[in-house]
Amino acid sequence: MSKLQAEHLYKVFGRRPEEAVRKLEGGADRDDLRADGTTAAVIDASFSVEEGQIFVVMGLSGSGKSTLLRMLNGLLDATAGRVRFDGQDLTELSPRELRAVRSRKISMVFQHFALFPHRSVLENAAYGLEVQGVGRAERERRATEALELAGLKGWETSWPDELSGGMQQRVGLARALATDADLLLMDESFSALDPLIRRDMQDQLLELQQGLKKTIVFITHDLNEAMRLGDRIAVMRDGRIVQTGTAEDILLTPANDYVASFTQDVDRSRVLTAGSVMADVDEVLGTRTADGTELRRAEDLLAAAPAKVGVDTPIFELFTPCSTSGVPVAVTDAAGELVGAVPAERLLAVLGEPMQQDEAAPSTGAAGGSPEGAEPEGKVTAGA
Amino acid sequence: MPRIDIGGWADSAVDWLRDNLDWLFTLISSVLGGMYDGFQAVLGAPEPLLLAGIFAVLAFWLRGLLAAVLTFAGFALIDSIEQWGQTMDSLALVLVAGFLIVVVAVPLGIWSARNRAVSATLRPVLDFMQTMPAMVYLIPGILFFGVGVVPGIVATIVFAMPPAVRMTELGIRQVDEELVEAAEAFGTHPRATLLRVQLPLALPTIMAGINQVIMLALSMVVIAGMVGGGGLGQSVYDAISSVNVALGFEGGLAVVILAMYLDRMTGALNQRVSPLGRRALAKAQAMLGGGAKVLHWKPATSLAMVGVVVLALAAGGLSVFGKADKDKGHEIKIGYVAWDEGTASTCLWKELLEQRGYQPKVQPLDAGALYTGQARGDIDIQTNSWLPVTHEAYWKKYGKDLEDYGAWYDKTSLEIAVPSYVKGVKTLDDLKGKGGLFKNKVVGIEPGAGEMKLYEDKVQKQYGLEGEYRLLKSNTSSMLAELDRAYAKKEPVAVTLWSPHWAYDKYELTKLKDPKGAFGTGDGIHTLGRKGFAQDEPEVARWMKNFSLDEQQLTSLEAEIQEAGKGHEQDGVRAWLKKNPGMADKLAPAADAEYAKGKDAGKSVDIGYPNWDEGIAATYLWKAVLEKRGYRPTIRQLDVGPMFTGLSTGQIDVELDGWLPVAQKQYWDKYQNDLVDLGAWYDKTSLEIAVPSYVKGVRTMDDLRRHKDRFKGRIIGIEPGTGQMMRLEDKVMPAYGLGDFELTKAGTSSMLAELERAYAKKEPVAVVLWSPHWAYKKYDLTRLSDPKKTWGANNRIKSLGHRSFPGKFPELSGWLKNWHMSPDELMSLEQAIQEAGQGKQEEGVQEWIDAHPGIIDRLAPVK
Repeated sequence: MSKLQAEHLYKVFGRRPEEAVRKLEGGADRDDLRADGTTAAVIDASFSVEEGQIFVVMGLSGSGKSTLLRMLNGLLDATAGRVRFDGQDLTELSPRELRAVRSRKISMVFQHFALFPHRSVLENAAYGLEVQGVGRAERERRATEALELAGLKGWETSWPDELSGGMQQRVGLARALATDADLLLMDESFSALDPLIRRDMQDQLLELQQGLKKTIVFITHDLNEAMRLGDRIAVMRDGRIVQTGTAEDILLTPANDYVASFTQDVDRSRVLTAGSVMADVDEVLGTRTADGTELRRAEDLLAAAPAKVGVDTPIFELFTPCSTSGVPVAVTDAAGELVGAVPAERLLAVLGEPMQQDEAAPSTGAAGGSPEGAEPEGKVTAGA
Repeated sequence: MPRIDIGGWADSAVDWLRDNLDWLFTLISSVLGGMYDGFQAVLGAPEPLLLAGIFAVLAFWLRGLLAAVLTFAGFALIDSIEQWGQTMDSLALVLVAGFLIVVVAVPLGIWSARNRAVSATLRPVLDFMQTMPAMVYLIPGILFFGVGVVPGIVATIVFAMPPAVRMTELGIRQVDEELVEAAEAFGTHPRATLLRVQLPLALPTIMAGINQVIMLALSMVVIAGMVGGGGLGQSVYDAISSVNVALGFEGGLAVVILAMYLDRMTGALNQRVSPLGRRALAKAQAMLGGGAKVLHWKPATSLAMVGVVVLALAAGGLSVFGKADKDKGHEIKIGYVAWDEGTASTCLWKELLEQRGYQPKVQPLDAGALYTGQARGDIDIQTNSWLPVTHEAYWKKYGKDLEDYGAWYDKTSLEIAVPSYVKGVKTLDDLKGKGGLFKNKVVGIEPGAGEMKLYEDKVQKQYGLEGEYRLLKSNTSSMLAELDRAYAKKEPVAVTLWSPHWAYDKYELTKLKDPKGAFGTGDGIHTLGRKGFAQDEPEVARWMKNFSLDEQQLTSLEAEIQEAGKGHEQDGVRAWLKKNPGMADKLAPAADAEYAKGKDAGKSVDIGYPNWDEGIAATYLWKAVLEKRGYRPTIRQLDVGPMFTGLSTGQIDVELDGWLPVAQKQYWDKYQNDLVDLGAWYDKTSLEIAVPSYVKGVRTMDDLRRHKDRFKGRIIGIEPGTGQMMRLEDKVMPAYGLGDFELTKAGTSSMLAELERAYAKKEPVAVVLWSPHWAYKKYDLTRLSDPKKTWGANNRIKSLGHRSFPGKFPELSGWLKNWHMSPDELMSLEQAIQEAGQGKQEEGVQEWIDAHPGIIDRLAPVK
């Protein structure tokens, strides 16, 4: 069973939200509701997150992703639908039970760090433990450990305003980690950082995740970040989840124009892996090397290939080998067996996507821009 | 446009509240009063300089060395200009008000930060509270809470609260929503979020609000002085009402010092109480170097605490050893309007009451506040009531809740005064045509004052000043200031003034003569008590009733007080008393002094008396005397017949009104074997028919017969069966041929009532009377002479006892045998009783005893 499941979640702001939900279920869309003065922030969102996964919710501002996130730990009540976490229905809990869940099992990292300016770094990191009622010595020990994990050893007695943005967010991360919560909600946590620091933080998160195996729901508006971090990605538009899948699924088989237009700017070479683009072994057998030798068997191909790569290798690593040889790059599994090959022409074809309709590019560009233009300004969620 | 009577509604609302929520106001009043007393006791106890030291340590802790030094210097200055007590009173008021405001306003602010509806409701209320002129609160404040410090505190709370509510709301709303969300996301209880996140972060803003509150509260202190709030307000108000620049400046300076101290300290408090402030402070201190470090170094909280505690202990110790226990006499609250004669008489009574073991508390007040407060019972007495004219309006409104003890000074007058350097203006007539000289104006006082009304309604009309002169309405202090200004520049000026007034001493002024009497006869300065005061404090009330000063006494007293200087009025009074020996005993005869007990103290004596004035007088006198000597007299009013019967059987031990040998001869003859004659105490008696002197030509009994028609053939008699009535019918009337006269037989009191009625209407009346009788003092009566001597020989008034009496009460028998009263004494005693009123014979007697020092020892000597 999944660690976290969202089932048909709705969040409507304004008067008579239940009525609005009925209308939405009956097929009304967001604009119909807006005329009544109600705003549907999240519409019929369902997904599940497995233990140890990083689940990324991706969308532009106003798409409802931050609202969705806040329903997962009950900061916002769902208008309809259920949130199941560890088999518990969070929407049915009393405020007190909900607070207990939030203090022990779910922690959160914020876009603008949300550090308490009147507490030192150590006190900030220990905040969650303090709420749990952990004794001073114990919580300081655990907070110090968390700070060390986040790379802030030695900064315990500093004050938040003395730290750079990246370091402040490390404190935020340490605060979230210190409680040992299973579920980590990260709301655009790296968006306020400059690009280099952001990359560092992403790397660090991935590295930490290898050791800690937390279940993480990560909100971002940056598809590159989503692709980089997410085991699975949900793309939201106008309050609805339009597609859920792996990075490759999104890139290679976008559910609609909107998603496709979104993926345009993505550096495919870093997202797509050798495994996802490779041709079958049979297809490449029979090609010839520069000197005319025909490669008939897998062994021959393996020997002649300019490089042997794993299934997970991003394709940008394949360009150099491909350019030096006409022989496809060999893709092998963990045992070293040939599972496929990437010929140079295939590489080029993949990068040339979107493949479906070239003439649609201008309109998809417009589609990509339209949500933002049509969106009522920043009223749906705080962190979008 | 129809008149919407909002003011009237407010008035009736206030009345309703006062009538129905009195318990609530009493509760609030006692809570606030108690808190204030507590703060004031703490602040008032230590030596000024020690307390200044404590303030300085606080300043050191909060702001550093320089602030500490300045603080000490500032407060030492306050002590030096003799405003210390007032400053501490004001500080206590500000602290109580500030404390209560914080207790109320911070939760309100939090509530309205969390609830938009509350916020929207509160906003107009706060606007109302803050912008309604603060003086307006004082009116219902006095009605609800009386004069004194409580309405001051209440008005201060109302006026100074809004910024605390607003800033708390603002501070909490300002806290980053993400921080609140973060706290929630970690499962913090909303209450803990408030305490751990919102309040600490809002604290700097809240502290800024509190700082404003303190400053506003301090600004209200002066206004509170007008309703008896005491403290610096009183100093300032005193100064304003007597145009005393020196006092005004000193009082004002003390306000400024206190204000600066409180402002800087509450401003800096943020650094100590809020976590962010502490951080900023630590940062700033770390960055300092060298000399600046010494100047800005601030002791740690613990260190400052030690300093405060040490000084406080020293202060506590000193005040324990330095202060004598206060005696616990009754508290008498005296209010006065700070005019010279008010101050003088009030200070005089303060001194006298202190000498007599009372605890007088004096409060200068605005006249309106004084009357309102006294009507409510907050003020016991005032000696400053100008009646019937000047304070007529107040008397009309509050008179039913006050007791008038009569005028103690009656040489007052109202007038228009001009400086003497304005030549040729001596009378009000002279003003006419000189409008240009006086810039066509008469500088007046408060628009509600009686004098102003008299001027407008009568004076300006009778002297034809209408149109030529405009009456400026402002207030007394402005009038005096204008007079001062004009006098300094030798400009002509005409002001409404009254005598006595110190302005006549300070400036050379001409009282304009009022040949037409338009200002009427002068007021008397009356002493007023609150309703029921005479009952609660009969002794003081008696003194007040007898209080009077003549012009020489009053001016010399004022002069002594003036000479002693502000703040030393009491010394002036003492000097004056020293120069007027016996004055204290005359004004406040010590009645409750310990009397030596008689030998038979503790014994019960039954005294009977007839309902005749001299009997009542003598019996009540002896009742008082015997009580002071420790006897337990019981007195019984009886008709003559039963009295003699009672005496003969021993049910009555003694009576003091035996008219012998004539009037009660028949009783004496009948019972003399069981009685003993204790001797006569009064022998100038006579029985007679009396007629008012305005009935001309009736001098003898024969005249009465001749003028029978004028008297409607009627003689007003007394109780039938009395010796006098019997003798009248048996002997006198037949002898003068008055047989056809109708003799009404009612009672002494009916006779006196008929006399009173007829006298008032100037009707002829003939009454049966006897001497001594106070009626002779009260009315102008003619005793009809009895040429035929039909009334018989003169009676003497004797004390008669049961035959066992001398044996049972040897001491009292001795006293009665030696007792004599002169006609003056008896007459004045009767009159005193008469004036005390029905049922208050004891008070009348006591008053008379007070007026006759040594009388007890004379009547009932003990060794």
